[in-house]
Amino acid sequence: MTAPNPDRAQLVGLVRAVVGEILPGVPRTEITEDRHPRELGADSVDRVEIVLTLIERLNLDRPMSDFNDLPNLGALVDLIASDVAKGSPA
Amino acid sequence: MNASAAYGIEQLNVYAGLAQIPVPALFAGRGLDPQRLDNLRMRNRSVGLPFEDPVTNAVNAARPIIDRLTPEERDAIELLITSTESGLDLSKSVASYVHEYLGLSRNCRMFEVKQACYGATGALQLAVGYLASGVAPGAKALVIATDVALVDARAGYAEPATGHGAVALLVGADPGVLAVDLGAYGTYGYETLDSARPTPEFDIADVDRSLFAYLDCLSNSFRDYTCRVADVDFVRTFPYLALHTPFVGLVRAAHRKMMREAGRSTGAVEADFHRRVWPSLVYPAQVGNLCSGSVYLALASLLDQATPAESTRVGLYSYGSGCASEFFSGVVDAESTRRVAAMGIGAHLARRRAVDFDTYTRLLEETRHVLRPEADRRVDIDPYADFLQPQRPLLVHTGTKQFHRRYEWC
Repeated sequence: MTAPNPDRAQLVGLVRAVVGEILPGVPRTEITEDRHPRELGADSVDRVEIVLTLIERLNLDRPMSDFNDLPNLGALVDLIASDVAKGSPA
Repeated sequence: MNASAAYGIEQLNVYAGLAQIPVPALFAGRGLDPQRLDNLRMRNRSVGLPFEDPVTNAVNAARPIIDRLTPEERDAIELLITSTESGLDLSKSVASYVHEYLGLSRNCRMFEVKQACYGATGALQLAVGYLASGVAPGAKALVIATDVALVDARAGYAEPATGHGAVALLVGADPGVLAVDLGAYGTYGYETLDSARPTPEFDIADVDRSLFAYLDCLSNSFRDYTCRVADVDFVRTFPYLALHTPFVGLVRAAHRKMMREAGRSTGAVEADFHRRVWPSLVYPAQVGNLCSGSVYLALASLLDQATPAESTRVGLYSYGSGCASEFFSGVVDAESTRRVAAMGIGAHLARRRAVDFDTYTRLLEETRHVLRPEADRRVDIDPYADFLQPQRPLLVHTGTKQFHRRYEWC
């Protein structure tokens, strides 16, 4: 679980950890903010699982469609960071 | 309206073509990553032949149902709705041809609907509501979801998951297959371009947008259902589920999402999936996505695999790109099992002839233009005539003459 009010660095760590769980064959050093899960070998179900797991662990109240057009993992972190900053229970 | 009367699906039949390709062979031929088979979870997919189109698929699905009716019962079909995203003309409906080749009454109301993979469920609900209204006592309706596949290598991993065929539903007041829970439904939709067929010759798809919309709509249509029906629990209320199945792996993810939202522990998910969902996925994994017929292929699979003997509630979910969705429910029992088993759907799927990858790619070229309007065209049946033997009489598409599509029984 994450800290009650994770800062951005903690969210980066969480996203990298979740991507690593879903894609166990990918070296952690390759899971960087400039990469898209697709580039790391995530198929469509893997990408669904990454988003679902983050929504669950951060208890986000956000539709999955908000995650449609994110260019990379950094943008994913920015999106969930905006929720945490607004006070979503994390 | 008679408040005690039940309405719903009286008969259900599936026609999934005459040919199939094993999905591992399609993966190998396209050079797709075989590790992705784990998440796709597809075994075979139906493949269209040059003499098949949305009309032949629809008629071939419905004819075994019509053949079981007396002339009086056939003439009681006062409503025919075809649902397709494989339209043949901007004005003339698939229903008009289907009406002719099924020999339905000339007093039958007929039309076609389009809402991607949701259309047939919208048609079913309107048909049930119409019959339940009591304005046409004794009437029946025929709803047919029918489509053909146009995808090729450009579709990537969607190609091995796309099906070909039709599902026919006879709807009436003897709902021996599924007694629809009147008034128990939830809907959700909004505009998005997640997948579409912008021309008669190719499909477009934004995979993440479509999968995320499917999952958002499932949560929201189920939430709408719970606003209309008291004391609903995702697990306890529905001993079985049948969901629109673009591919089996997505349904698995959808079930996990709903279990999380229902507050169930992660450890309970796997056993629940195998108990309540897996029976509905056996046929979809052998056919591919049948568009708006998909959820009813899943229902047929559920009835043939789980063979419920007691009165049991099923939760059904239909999603169509664009997007529109509905979560609804109905009751099945031993009679449902008996009626669907009598159609021999599993045997029909097993009779499809396997084609190799070279044959498959040749067929793609020969069937690519099946929906394109052409004034005059002749379809040569002979090269693939052996696929018709020893099948029951089937309608085949033989060509067009001044844009009028021609068909024959073989």
